Amino acid sequence: MSVSDQPIPLSGRILDIGVRFLPHFVLFAVIIGAWEISVATGLITSIIIPRPSAIWSAIVELYITEGTIYRHFFITLTEAVVGFAIGAGVAVSLAIASSLWDPFRRYVTPYAVVLNVTPGIALTPVIIAWFGYGMGSKIALAAIISFFPIFVNTLTGLVQVDEDREELFNSLGASNVQVFRKLRAPAALPLMFAGFKIGLTTALIGAVVAEFAQATDGVGVLMSRFSFQLNMAASLATLLSMTVIGLILFYSMEFLDDRIVFWRRESRRAAASRARARTWAAQAKK
Amino acid sequence: MVKHEQSMAAAGDVVVSGLNVGKTFAAGTVVALENANFDIKRGSFVSLVGPSGCGKSTLLRLVSGLIEPTSGEIEVHGTPVNGPRADISMMFQKATLLDWRTSLENVLLPTEINGTPSKADKNRALDLLKLVGLEDFAFSFPAQLSGGMQQRVALARLLQTGADILLLDEPFGALDEFTREHLNTELMRIVAEVRATAIFVTHNITEAIFLADQVVVMTSRPGRMAKIINVDLERPRPLSIQTSVEFNKLVEDVRETLGAV
Repeated sequence: MSVSDQPIPLSGRILDIGVRFLPHFVLFAVIIGAWEISVATGLITSIIIPRPSAIWSAIVELYITEGTIYRHFFITLTEAVVGFAIGAGVAVSLAIASSLWDPFRRYVTPYAVVLNVTPGIALTPVIIAWFGYGMGSKIALAAIISFFPIFVNTLTGLVQVDEDREELFNSLGASNVQVFRKLRAPAALPLMFAGFKIGLTTALIGAVVAEFAQATDGVGVLMSRFSFQLNMAASLATLLSMTVIGLILFYSMEFLDDRIVFWRRESRRAAASRARARTWAAQAKK
Repeated sequence: MVKHEQSMAAAGDVVVSGLNVGKTFAAGTVVALENANFDIKRGSFVSLVGPSGCGKSTLLRLVSGLIEPTSGEIEVHGTPVNGPRADISMMFQKATLLDWRTSLENVLLPTEINGTPSKADKNRALDLLKLVGLEDFAFSFPAQLSGGMQQRVALARLLQTGADILLLDEPFGALDEFTREHLNTELMRIVAEVRATAIFVTHNITEAIFLADQVVVMTSRPGRMAKIINVDLERPRPLSIQTSVEFNKLVEDVRETLGAV
């Protein structure tokens, strides 16, 4: 047994984490301190950049004492997630159809490219005219701009050909459906998830930009309202909620990616391997 | 195996036979294989040896039904080959395992392609993993296995098909010398145990002779069967047989045939 197999005592682990993160804390404190001092001494006008302490009080007010942020927070989160789901659904369906049927790919690709090179958020006024001030237009924009990265990644994943494996499937007499289900689709999953991660982030951008343009609810509308009132501290405190939404979305996808495309990471492989062994043992008992 | 002169499939003992088999590529400009005639007996181990471009892999793919001959005909179990079939199974130089499947699930792939695996199929797959010495790695994923272990899984998958004719295209060619020698010994034992007929492609003369009952020496441009050499060495064969006088006479014979053309 090697030394690393011995459990490290809890106090040791806390100390270890402390030592690892200490430089980050110090750097953060120095930046915040310098910022606070330069605004307090009048080096920077507080109307342009508020003091960190002012942002902190705005955060406390928005998130704790008044809690106004939550309704907007969940609206924006919903818009991004639903928009992403629609965009991803259409993108994956079209990518599958394109990978299976060449003529279809030839007809779809030019439209997908045109949609990609056109700045998606430039569609905002049109989308709002079509779908109104409510959540519909935000969802639509989120769906449109998350479409392309998912479409391209999924299609690339599906059409990459591993000749040796295809030959194996052919020698086993597999049908086209079996080649797709058992070889092409699983082989495309890593690239597909890379597309999902980009798409989810762009869906949030789409939702927020549409809120900036015209909306009644959502963190975007809240933020532009505070900015108009020159309440920079509250505006930046609202921005924090977008970061939080972004983190929630990104890490949710990372979590799914890790579990569904488990075979790329040693730790996940080991866990999956143990799970399969347990399932087998349970079935064998029956 | 005898060079074919009179009738094809005369003896019931012949499981694979070819009559004037030829294959050209690039609209007839490249002759990959020319006028190959052969009969392969049930349960025999045949090696195809020769330099690259001699048509040995082409011949294997023709027998498997992955490609069609330009001329001539191949019969397996008395019926012409026209596409992949259940009584033939092929193994490649790369293990071609699916990364997202455990060893056991990879071995079960051929069964899944034919339908839903039964409990008996699953137990058979586990038995085959035991046969190739991987019972402790049934639930490991390919990335957790060494190159040699991956090829053992591929061998178990080959056997899971239930085919009695095994086509092996340099199956251990990408592995180091020690692993390859070890796996060759294992392969001989396993093929004998399941009573299969094996056609083994290699460019390694020693390996070809060590494994086979007959060695087909092939020469290139155009790909042609130059000579068939019977290997009458007793089985089981220890690795040390490779230093014996008889063995080296056979090596010399193969070398002369390759050098003469």
